[in-house]
Amino acid sequence: MNLADFGRFSDPALLILASLADGPKHGYGMMSDIETMAGVRLGAGTLYGALARLESSGLIAALPAEDRRRPYQLTAKGATALREQLNLLQKLATTGLKRLATL
Amino acid sequence: MNVRSWLIRLYPRPWRERYGEEFDMLLEECLHSPLDVADIVLGAIDAHLEFPFETNWRLMNMVNKLRTMLLIVFTGYIGFIIGGLAFYGLVDDSPMADLMKTGTDIPLSAAWITVEAGAVIALLAIIIGGLPIAWRLLRRAMTSSHQDFKWLLVPVAAFLALVLYFAFEAAVYTGHLPIPGVIQVVSHGNFPIGNRLLLAGSMLVLIVGAIASTAAMWRLLTHADETESPSAAAMGQPSTKLYERAFAPAVIATASMLLMLVATIVWGGLAYASMPQVFAEDWGLLQSNTAASLIAIIAIMALSSVMACVGMARGWSARRTTA
Repeated sequence: MNLADFGRFSDPALLILASLADGPKHGYGMMSDIETMAGVRLGAGTLYGALARLESSGLIAALPAEDRRRPYQLTAKGATALREQLNLLQKLATTGLKRLATL
Repeated sequence: MNVRSWLIRLYPRPWRERYGEEFDMLLEECLHSPLDVADIVLGAIDAHLEFPFETNWRLMNMVNKLRTMLLIVFTGYIGFIIGGLAFYGLVDDSPMADLMKTGTDIPLSAAWITVEAGAVIALLAIIIGGLPIAWRLLRRAMTSSHQDFKWLLVPVAAFLALVLYFAFEAAVYTGHLPIPGVIQVVSHGNFPIGNRLLLAGSMLVLIVGAIASTAAMWRLLTHADETESPSAAAMGQPSTKLYERAFAPAVIATASMLLMLVATIVWGGLAYASMPQVFAEDWGLLQSNTAASLIAIIAIMALSSVMACVGMARGWSARRTTA
């Protein structure tokens, strides 16, 4: 599964996957965690646009609701997609930094 | 209506049915600025435009509606069983039963046989439609969701409670467990209050057990789908196929309930025409008035049938919108 298929939601989707990598969270929990982790504040519309796509693709799964809040967890497929995406970003960062060093 | 509700209403209905409640909860905590509102409006436009996801939501919506349809029909059926058992209790050992035994009133007997045939057909339909779902729940409880066992035990416990109560009644009536105020041999003319209370106890155990078992089924089935990925439930199908397969048996069970309801009303009319005096007497449940008892029974059957029909209409519309 390529997150690039999510269009403008691909970056928020990656942030959500990374947030869920340390355990299930509900919408507000993800929002706060992403803000702390990446300094990005996702709007509710963007968060749920990405979340619905991730769920539809089977990358995350909903857990039973707790007091109107529904937590989501990373699926095995989601963990694989996150790993692939982070490896790609790491390779890009390494290459980019190497090139910058030659300037 | 507050701002949050207006904003949520911008989203398509299937989206709202799936995410509306949790989204509302999120907005309660993070709707602070016009930028937040703009982000939600863009999200709503996206939800309207994204056709593939819309399709998924429609399928998820269909699964939910089919499941609710089956649970409503099942609840209606349980209600009908209670009405049916009460009907059997009213007729059993009454002058109406004697009239049918003589075979002189053929239409009355035919109406009774129709009720019996409807009961057999409805039971078979519920078993055929329900067994694969029950098997799935049992397998799920054994493999991945052990806490479901406690809910599966509810119908078993309800059945055991009824058996224990019957054993208790048998012990009382055979004299092994004498209770003051309860006699061993009862007749229509000699049915003391102690015996009535004993009979009322069995009805109570039956009704409470039926309600608890039905509630457990609602909990089990809803929980089973909630803990699966909704997209898997909709597309990957364990529940979708089962619910689809149970649709035809649910139609048959509902039709059988309607048939039994009509046959019971016809039976009541014919019985009244043959022996009106019996309806002024106290052949009803716990020696209540016969006419009042029959009217109450028909009301229970009618309510249960209406419930099943409402469930069917819901399932039918879900299938039509996704066809």
